[in-house]
Amino acid sequence: MLEAEDLHKRYGDTIALRGVALRVRPGEMFGFVGANGAGKTTTMRIVMGVLGPDSGEVRWRGEPVTAAARRGFGYMPEERGLYQKMRVAEQIAYFGRLHGMTAAEAKSATGALMERLGLTERAGDPVEALSLGNQQRVQLAVALVHDPTLLVLDEPFSGLDPIAVDALAEVLAERCRAGVPVIFSSHQLDLVERLCDSVGIIAAGRMVAAGPVEEVRAAEGRRSLRVVVRDPAPGWADGLPGEVTADGDGRQVLRTTEGDDQAILAAASRAGRVEHFGWEQPTLTEIFREAVA
Amino acid sequence: MNSTIANALLVARREISVRARTRGFLVGLALSALLVAALPVIPKLFGGPDSYAVGLVGARSAALEPAARALAPGEQITLTFTRLPDERAAHAAITAGDLDAAVVDDGRLLADGDPPQELGALLQGAHRAVQTEQRLRAAGLDPARVTEAMRVPPLTEVSVSTAGGDSGVRAGVAMLLVLTLFFLLISAVTQVAMGVVEEKGSRIVELLLTSIRPGELLGGKILGLGALGLLNLVVVIAAGLGSALATGLAGDLPDGMTGIVLGALAWFLLGYAFFSALAAALGSLVSRQEEVSSVLTPMTTLLTAAYLVAFYAVTEPAGTLARVLSLVPPFSSMVMPVRTAAADVPVWEVGVAALLMLLAVAVVLTAGARIYRSAVLRTGARLRLRDVLPAAR
Ligand SMILES: Nc1ncnc2c1ncn2[C@@H]1O[C@H](COP(=O)(O)OP(=O)(O)O)[C@@H](O)[C@H]1O
Ligand SMILES: [Mg+2]
Repeated sequence: MLEAEDLHKRYGDTIALRGVALRVRPGEMFGFVGANGAGKTTTMRIVMGVLGPDSGEVRWRGEPVTAAARRGFGYMPEERGLYQKMRVAEQIAYFGRLHGMTAAEAKSATGALMERLGLTERAGDPVEALSLGNQQRVQLAVALVHDPTLLVLDEPFSGLDPIAVDALAEVLAERCRAGVPVIFSSHQLDLVERLCDSVGIIAAGRMVAAGPVEEVRAAEGRRSLRVVVRDPAPGWADGLPGEVTADGDGRQVLRTTEGDDQAILAAASRAGRVEHFGWEQPTLTEIFREAVA
Repeated sequence: MNSTIANALLVARREISVRARTRGFLVGLALSALLVAALPVIPKLFGGPDSYAVGLVGARSAALEPAARALAPGEQITLTFTRLPDERAAHAAITAGDLDAAVVDDGRLLADGDPPQELGALLQGAHRAVQTEQRLRAAGLDPARVTEAMRVPPLTEVSVSTAGGDSGVRAGVAMLLVLTLFFLLISAVTQVAMGVVEEKGSRIVELLLTSIRPGELLGGKILGLGALGLLNLVVVIAAGLGSALATGLAGDLPDGMTGIVLGALAWFLLGYAFFSALAAALGSLVSRQEEVSSVLTPMTTLLTAAYLVAFYAVTEPAGTLARVLSLVPPFSSMVMPVRTAAADVPVWEVGVAALLMLLAVAVVLTAGARIYRSAVLRTGARLRLRDVLPAAR
C-alpha cells in the first residue's frame, strides 16, 4: 500500500501542495484528477523521490520509502523522456538493469514486453526513428520492464487515440489484477470513472475528495435531487430551492442539493406531470466542477 | 556502496557502448592516430632517406666499402654496395635512380647533381681514411702500426644544456603531448557536458533519478567518457611510438620515455576529472545543446589558458612561469607532463603538483556534483550559479 500524508511543497512564492494525502491499496487503480497546476505532477514527483516535500511523508508498505523500495517502482513522467539515439531493445533493457535486474533477466523481460506491446519489429531501431505512438509504447515499456511493485503514471492517456487508450487501459488493468497498486493522473474524468476503483480530486494543492469512486460520489451533501416536470405552469418553481432548466419538449428540470423533497414533489405534481423524481449521485465531472469553482 | 559502484558502472557501460559506436568517435580516433603516426615520418620526407645504394667501379674503389661500412652506423644510415664493370654502367644506374652515387677508381664521385649531403660526407670520410692509410704504408711505415694509428675513437658528445642531451627531440615529444592532451581533454570534457544536457533537455533524467542517485549517474558518465578519452590517448601514443619504431626514429627518443608516457596518462586522468566535473556542473545549468558552448566558456577559457602556458613551457621548461604554474592546479595537469617531457624535473615538484591537483579534483568533484544534483531537474531557462548554490547546501 502506498500512503502519502500531509504533503506540503512550495516553489518560491507558488504554493503547489497544501497538505495532500492519498492512499492506494494493492491491486487498486487510483485516478488522480485535477485542473492544470492543481499539484498532480508535484505529488507524483514526491512519491517517486524526484522531489523532496517541504513537509509530510510518503510511506510504502507502512514504512517511509527507501531508495531500494523506489527502485521497484515504475514511473512514467509527465515530460516524456527517452534516449533518442539509443536502440529500442537496448534502452528498455538498460532501464531494467537500472532497476536492479541482471542482464539476462532484463533481456528476457524486454523481449516479452516488446512482444506484448507490438514493438518486436522495431527492436533494433533508434527511438528517434519511431512514430510518436510507438515512442509512447517504449516509454510504457521502460516503466514496466522490471515488473514494478507500484506504478506511477503522469498523464499516461494524453495524446492517445481511442484504440491506444483501450490498449493502455488493458495493460494497466493487468498490472492491477497482479496486485500492483496503480496511480495515474488525468483530466479526462470519464476515463477515470470508467477505469478506476479509487479517485483523488485535487484542486489548488488540496485534496477535495478521495476514496473509492462510489464513496466519493455518494458522499454526504453531494447527492442532488432531480425532478423532471412536463408542461408545468410558469413560475411553478418560485420559492423552491435549486435551479430550473428547460429541456425542450416542454420539460423542465429542477436540480437541488437541499430542501424538503416531499414539499418539492408536491409542488411539482401541482404544476404538471412529474416524469422523473429522485436523489442522484453526482458524476465525477460534477464533483470536479464544484470543487474547482 | 556496492550498488553505487555497480550503478555507476552500468551508466559508464552505456556511455561507452553508445558513444563508441558513433561515427564521430571512430573518425576522431582514426584521425588522431593517423596524424600522430605521420609525425615521425615528416622529418624523413624532408631529410631524405637514410639508406643509400652506392656503386663501386674498379678495385681501388672497392677498398672504400669496409671503411664506409664502419662509418655508417655512427651516422645512422645503412648502405648497400654494388660492383659495376665500368663508368657507363654507373651512369646508367644513377640516371635510372637505382644508385644514389657511385665511386670511380680515378677518384671521382658520381651522382645525379650533388650527392645527398650525409652520403657525400660519409664517402669522403671513408675515402680520406683509406687513402691516408695507403699513403702511410707507401711511405714505409709498419702496416700494423698504421692500422693501429688509424683507429681513432670518435669524440664523445656531451650536452651542457639543462634540458639534457636530446633537447630537440624532447621538445618535440613535449609539444606533441601538449597538443594531444589539449584536444583530447577538451573533446572528452565537452562530451560530458553535452551528455548532461542531453539527459536534462530530454527530461530522461527525471526517469533515471527514480532508480539511481545523481552522483551515480554523473560519476558513471564521467567514468565512461573518460575511459574512451584514455583509450584515445593510448591509441595516439601507441601510434606515435609505433611509427617512431618503424621509421627508426625511436633511437632518438629521450631516455625515460616510459615514464613520460605513464606520467602523461596519469595527468590526463587528473585533468579530465577536474575539467569534466566543472563541465558537468556548468552543463547542468542549461537545457538546450545550443547553450552548451556558451555556458562552458569559463571552463574552456581555463583549459585554453593551461594550454598556452604548457605551450610556452615546451620552449622554456625551466622558466619561472612554467615552474610555478606546473604546481598550480588545474594548470599543472597540462604544464607538468610537458615540463617532464621537455626537461628533467625534481621528483618533489612532481609530487607536490600531483598532491595539489588531487585536492583540487576532490573539491571540484564535490562541488560539481552538488551543483549538478540541484540543477539537473530544473529545466527551462538557463540557471545562474547563484540560483543553484543555496539549494545545493
Ligand atoms: N519547478 C517549478 N517551479 C515553480 N513552480 C512550479 C514548478 N513546478 C510546478 N510549479 C507550480 O506548482 C503548481 C503545481 O504544478 P503541477 O504539480 O505541475 O500541477 P499539475 O500536474 O496538476 O498540472 C503550479 O502552480 C505550477 O505552476
Ligand atoms: Mg502535471
